[in-house]
Amino acid sequence: MRKGLIQAIAVSSLGCVLLATAAGAQGKIGDESDGSRAVPVHLIPLYDEAVPEFDKQSFKILPQDELLQPFSIRQTCGKCHTYEAVAQGWHFNAPDPNVNPGRAGQPWILADAAARTQVPVSYRPWPNTFRPEQLGLTNWKFARRFARHMPGGGPAEMLDQTEAPEEMMRSYVSGKLEINCLGCHSADPGYDQAEYVLQTARQNYRWAPTAACSFASVTGVAADQSDMYDPLMSDAIKVTYRPNTFDYKNRVLFDIVRKVPNERCYFCHSNFDLSGRDAEKWKADEDVHLAAGLSCVDCHRNGLDHSIIRGYQGEDKISNNPLAATTSCQGCHLGPESSASPVEGRLGAPRPKHLGIPPIHFEKMTCTACHGGPWPDARTHATKTSRAHALGTLGANKSPEALPHIWTPVFAKQPDGKIAPHKLFWPAFWAVEKDDGVTPIPVETARELVGKVIPEQRPLPSGDWLDLSKEQIAKVLSLMSQESSEGRPVYVAGGKLYRLDDSDQLWAGAHPAAAPSMWPIAHNVRPAVQSLGVRSCQDCHATDAPFFFGDVEIDSPLAAGRGSAKMIDFQDLKPFYVKAFAFSFVFRPWLKLVILASCAGLAGVLVLYALRALACVVKVLSEGNGSIEKEDE
Amino acid sequence: MFRTVSIIVLLVAVAALALHYLVSRLRSPAKAGPVCIVRGLVYLLTLLFLPQQLTLLGKFKKLVYLLAMLCVVVLAVTGFYSVLILGKHISGYLLMIHVTAGGVFAVCLALLALTFAQSHRFNENDWPWLTSMVRRELQEPKLLPENSDLLRKICFWLLIILALPLMLSVVLSMFPLFGTAVQVLLADTHRYSTLTFAAVAIIHTYLIIRAPTSK
Repeated sequence: MRKGLIQAIAVSSLGCVLLATAAGAQGKIGDESDGSRAVPVHLIPLYDEAVPEFDKQSFKILPQDELLQPFSIRQTCGKCHTYEAVAQGWHFNAPDPNVNPGRAGQPWILADAAARTQVPVSYRPWPNTFRPEQLGLTNWKFARRFARHMPGGGPAEMLDQTEAPEEMMRSYVSGKLEINCLGCHSADPGYDQAEYVLQTARQNYRWAPTAACSFASVTGVAADQSDMYDPLMSDAIKVTYRPNTFDYKNRVLFDIVRKVPNERCYFCHSNFDLSGRDAEKWKADEDVHLAAGLSCVDCHRNGLDHSIIRGYQGEDKISNNPLAATTSCQGCHLGPESSASPVEGRLGAPRPKHLGIPPIHFEKMTCTACHGGPWPDARTHATKTSRAHALGTLGANKSPEALPHIWTPVFAKQPDGKIAPHKLFWPAFWAVEKDDGVTPIPVETARELVGKVIPEQRPLPSGDWLDLSKEQIAKVLSLMSQESSEGRPVYVAGGKLYRLDDSDQLWAGAHPAAAPSMWPIAHNVRPAVQSLGVRSCQDCHATDAPFFFGDVEIDSPLAAGRGSAKMIDFQDLKPFYVKAFAFSFVFRPWLKLVILASCAGLAGVLVLYALRALACVVKVLSEGNGSIEKEDE
Repeated sequence: MFRTVSIIVLLVAVAALALHYLVSRLRSPAKAGPVCIVRGLVYLLTLLFLPQQLTLLGKFKKLVYLLAMLCVVVLAVTGFYSVLILGKHISGYLLMIHVTAGGVFAVCLALLALTFAQSHRFNENDWPWLTSMVRRELQEPKLLPENSDLLRKICFWLLIILALPLMLSVVLSMFPLFGTAVQVLLADTHRYSTLTFAAVAIIHTYLIIRAPTSK
C-alpha cells in the first residue's frame, strides 16, 4: 500500500515535471495569443540591463532608486516575449549568413562628399553591394554611421564582438543597441524616434529607447565619457522619469499595439521624390492601399519570429512566413495558383480586369512596373529615402543635392527576368583591384588621400559632390600606388572604372564593379486608372516612351563623367528591336481596321452562300412527286 | 500542350496526304507519279509567269492567290517555329513579321473568298447519293465522279470558316474589351484555329497541286 502510494507520487511528480517542461517549450506568456483580439494593456515594471557585475541579473527599476537606470528592452519586454525569437526577424538578422537574402533591397549607403564616395553597404549578399568589413566597417563603426535608422539588434547589438580593444571599451560605456520594440510598437504620440536618433549620435545606445519615451529624459553624452565610465556609479549620463510615471506597484504604462502604426514605419521607410510634381508632402498622394484604409502591416505581416513579409512574388519559396504566398500583389488580388479554397480578394482587394492587356505582360513585368512608384518621365528624377538621407532626424540636410544621389524610377530587369521599377545610384569609391575583384578602401583613408591632393576643400552646405577632375583622380591613384603595393589602385564613379595604365595615363572604361546599385520599389502604388498602359499601349510602346527610352541620370563627382543612359540599357533588350516594335504600334489601328474589314467580308460571303445553300436545300426538298394536298387526296 | 497537339496534327495531315498519294499511285500510276506532284507545285508557284490568257481580273486573282500562299508560308514559319522549335510563344522580330504578314493575309483571304466563292459552290453533282435519296430514286447509289472536286470545295469553305475565329480572336484581343481569362482563351482560340487552318490549307494545296495534272 505504502509502496504503491510512493509510486503514484513519483509518477505524478514526473508528470508534473513533463507538463511544466512542455509549458516552458511553448514559450513565454506573450509569445502566443489566446485568440482574443483585444489589445493587452502593457502596465509593466521596468527592468534595467543585466550586467556582469551583478552576475547578469536584471533588477526592477524603482522611482526611489538613487541612481535611476535606463530600462532594458531585452529585460523589460523579454519577461513576456522571447527576445531571441524576435531577434531572428528580418529587421534584425542581416549579419546572419544563414539567412537567405531574397530579392535585393535598399542597401545602406556610405556617402562622403570629401572622399568623393557613395558606396552601397550591406550585411546581406545582394548584388553590387559590399560587406561592411570590406570597407573597414566594424560593427561599432557601422552603428556609429547607421544606428540612427536601425531598429536595434543585429550588428548594433554585437558591438563587443570586435578585435579592436578601444571599440570594446567604448561599447561598455555606450552599451549595446538592443532591439527597440517601441520603435515600431509604441502608439504613444509622445514617443520620439528623432530623440532616439539623437541619443545614438551621442553613442548613448543603452539609453536611446528610454530617452525616446515620453515619460523619460536622458542627459549626458556617452561619447564624451572616458573608457572607464561606469553608468552604475556615475550620473554623468542621467535618466529622469517623469513624475507619476510609476504607479503604486511601480509599474509603467506603455501604449503598445500589435498592429504597428504607419507613422512608425515611415520613420525608416519614407521616400521623398524630388520631381517637381511631388516635391512637397501635401502635393503627393499616398499609396492607394493606405488611402483605402489599409496599413503597412496589413500586408507586411509577421508573427513572433518577426519574419516579416517583404511582399514580392516568389518570396514564399524562401520565407518561413506562411502568408508569404498570399500576401504579395498577386496573392491578394488574384490568389495563389493553387488553393483549396478561394483566397483572393483579401482585405477587399479587387480582382484586376486588365482589359486588353496581353497576358505576356504578366510574364515579362512585375505588377509594380505598371502600378508602383512614380509615373515615368522623360528623365529620372532624384529621390531621398529615410535611411539614405537621415530623413526625420534633427539637422537632416534638406537640400535636394545632398548625397547620396538616388534616381527613380528606373525600369530594369530583375534577376527573375521581369522588368520592375527601381531606385538606382551610381557607386563612387576608391578601391584596390586584385585578381578576386575590386575592393573599396575605407572611407577615412580615401578622405585622407584625396585631402592630400585637393587640400582645404570643405563640404558644401548643400551636401552635393565636391568637384573632381581626371587629373586629380590620376594624382590620387598615383599616391595610392606609392603608399601601398597591394593590388592596383582604381576609382569607380559614374559607371566607369578609372585606373592608371602602364604609362601612368588615366584609363577609364566599363567594369562590373562600376555597375549601378539598384533595388526594386513597390510604393507608392497608384490607382488603377493611373497605371501604365491605361491610356493606350503607347504609354510604353511609343518610340519615345520613357518606359524604354527615358533617360537615366548618370551621376559622378566628375563633371565630365555625368550624363545619361537609356532605360532600355537596364532591360537586356535590343534598342532597335524595341524601337521597331514601338513603331509598329503606329500602324496598329490600321491593322485592326483591315482585319475587321476582312472578317466582315469573309462573314458576308459565308452568310450569302449559306443563304444560297439554304435556298438550294429548300428547293430540293420542295421538289417531289406531288404536293401535300395531293398526297392527302 | 499546344506544341504536342501541333506536332501530332501536322504529322497526321502530312501522313494522310502521303497515304492518299500512295494509294492514288497504286490505282493509277501514270497520273500520280512524283513528277506530277512536282509539276503541280511548280505550276502553282509560277502562275504569274505562265503565258497569261486571262482577263485583268483573272490575273488579279492569281496574284492574290500567290500572295496569300506566300503569307501562309510566312505565317506558318514564324508562328510554328517558335512553338515547335523554340518551345515558347512567338515574340520579337518573328512576332512583328507574323503580324505584318497577318494583315496582308487577311486582305488576301477576303478577296479570295469574294472571287472564288462562286466557283466553289456545292451543286447536286457533289453529292449524288444525297439527291438520289431525297428524290427517292431507288436505283444503284451514285458515286462521285473520279474528277470530283468536292474535297477541295469543302477545304475552301473550311478555310473561310476557320479564318473567322483565327482573325477575330487576334483582333479582339487588341481592344480593351476582355480581361486576362478571356485574353488567354482568345490566344488559345487563335492557336488552335490556326493549327486547324494550317492542316486544312495543306490538304487544300495538295488537292490543287493534283488537280491540274489529273485533269
